[in-house]
Amino acid sequence: MATAAQIKKGYIDFVLTHDEKPKSVYSFVKKLKLTEADFYAFYASFESIEKMIWFELTVETIDEIQKQELWQQYSSREKMLSFFYSYVELLKSHRSFVIYSLKSHGKRLSTPEVLSGAKPIFENFAEQLINEGLESGELAERKYFSKRYKDALWVQYAFILNFWITDDSAGFEKTDEAIEKGIQVTFDLFQRSPIDNLFEYGKFLAQNGKLKEKMGF
Amino acid sequence: MKIQESMPTTKVERSAKFVKTGFQIGGNYIKHYSKKIFNPDLSRDELNEDNASDIYNSLSELKGSALKIAQMLSMDKNILPRAYVDKFTQSQYNAPPLSGPLIVRTFSKSFGKSPEKIFDKFTIKSTHAASIGQVHEAELNGKKLAVKIQYPGVGDSISSDLKLVKPFAFRLLGMTEKELNIYIKEVEERLLEETDYELEVRRSIQFSEACKDLANVVFPSYYPELSSSRIITMDWLEGMHLKEFLQTNPSQALKNKIGQALWDFYNFQQHELRAVHADPHPGNFLITKDDQLGVIDFGCIKEMPTDFYHPFFSLTSTDLFEDKEATIDAFRQLEMILPNDNEAQIEFYYKAYKEMISLFAKPYVNSVFDFSKKDFFDELYAYGEKITKMPEFKQARGVKHFIYINRTNFGLYNILHELQATVRTDTFKPQLH
Repeated sequence: MATAAQIKKGYIDFVLTHDEKPKSVYSFVKKLKLTEADFYAFYASFESIEKMIWFELTVETIDEIQKQELWQQYSSREKMLSFFYSYVELLKSHRSFVIYSLKSHGKRLSTPEVLSGAKPIFENFAEQLINEGLESGELAERKYFSKRYKDALWVQYAFILNFWITDDSAGFEKTDEAIEKGIQVTFDLFQRSPIDNLFEYGKFLAQNGKLKEKMGF
Repeated sequence: MKIQESMPTTKVERSAKFVKTGFQIGGNYIKHYSKKIFNPDLSRDELNEDNASDIYNSLSELKGSALKIAQMLSMDKNILPRAYVDKFTQSQYNAPPLSGPLIVRTFSKSFGKSPEKIFDKFTIKSTHAASIGQVHEAELNGKKLAVKIQYPGVGDSISSDLKLVKPFAFRLLGMTEKELNIYIKEVEERLLEETDYELEVRRSIQFSEACKDLANVVFPSYYPELSSSRIITMDWLEGMHLKEFLQTNPSQALKNKIGQALWDFYNFQQHELRAVHADPHPGNFLITKDDQLGVIDFGCIKEMPTDFYHPFFSLTSTDLFEDKEATIDAFRQLEMILPNDNEAQIEFYYKAYKEMISLFAKPYVNSVFDFSKKDFFDELYAYGEKITKMPEFKQARGVKHFIYINRTNFGLYNILHELQATVRTDTFKPQLH
């Protein structure tokens, strides 16, 4: 009986051995002693296998961290840190595949196709954390901008992932630093800052300046 | 203390921080000299004060090894003017903490488990910082434990921090780069050792075993199975730091008891073990409820080779000074007098170093020494101030071992002074066979 897991395993094995994807679905399933119908019952293409793997890794991480005892005590900032630490830990056991998958898609500015399944999951998760943070007052509500917070976190996601695949420090300690510092800075920016106060003061002056004119002073 | 919002991360940013300090110091000099035009009596104290607080402010934002260097400089009260010292000693406390998730991460990397699965209780919020790490409270089988966790990347940043701190060291100590390099290397070695927590656990066990018979000194037990290259687990010692202890107005007898324990602890190590806990800052000691001295940090150990130990302690504890030739010979061995020195230089350094070492050895002269005496310390500071102004001391002299041995002994003297203790100084004497 063909299963999705069997196909996935076979595919990972193939790309890691050959450093490229199989020439065709036909040749690939033949090696696994499956039919093409078996393959298409689960996946539409090779890309969709990769997409699925990324999707699963991301979902697994989010499920995993929410089970941690400390999760409830964490602030939004800490929850996001926790996600990334657990994520790179999980990815470690799939490092070869991760490197293959990201590198084979080259350096393009847009999100690689293989991450298109993981992205909404991550963004959804990020949005949840942001909303929690906005509600508790941990993060600053800003017109237009607070809707974009999750984009900043997606940029961090991409940065951390890229950092990790080229990290050669022992135990990927540099990645830990990149996460700690990057997420802290990002969340510092989400917090209420002197810029907010300055902006509001400017607004106040502009409004009250006009008021003066109207009153003829 | 100001709350620290972010820590400069990259080397560029760190450099920027130091550059800024450089400018500020420059600015302070301008301020000083422009004031001086109007008030020629203005002392340099204010200038030193300004410089010290600027240097301190930028160092404390750097954390890690720069913080360590600040501590280090703060020890050498004999070299630095007082204003620097007072600011630097503040660096012994407070640094921004690691996030909870990173702590969990450090544990899972070391043990494959999160801290709450290892301990019965683990407080995710750290109780205090320990310059290259932070300390957490934990509990296991009814025992209260202290868990020290190292900041990631400390080892890596040490070397680059030292490069950055160099220009300031030149300015503070007035040495050239070449001369300073030998010393910087010595400091770098010790600092890198301090980041090796596995080594620290081994040494802690070894030293607390070797020192276990000393009266009134106690050590926590260490747990190698709960320690790793980034984590150290030991017993939680309940007690007061020196400052708190002094606020309780302890009796003179009690102060003497603690002071004696300190003296014995250091001199036993120096003369019996020839390797010494070289980090005598007050944060490493606790005074326990039953009036014992608790020692809680063996990160920095300085070993003394015989070719240093012998000439140096011959100077302090024999009547070698009576014999000028033998004294000069010892100075040569310690590189305080160099092969190329001419007659006049030999005479000059002979006198200067004789004075310095006699000062250093004062507590050893009689069998009892009262460290509360202000005169002795004023003399020390005055001597330190004097040599910083002498052009002859722009040049670095003395073997590298002096850095840590001076730091250790002057550090010890300072703590004893703060304690206002009178101690017997003949308990563990130098052994020169």
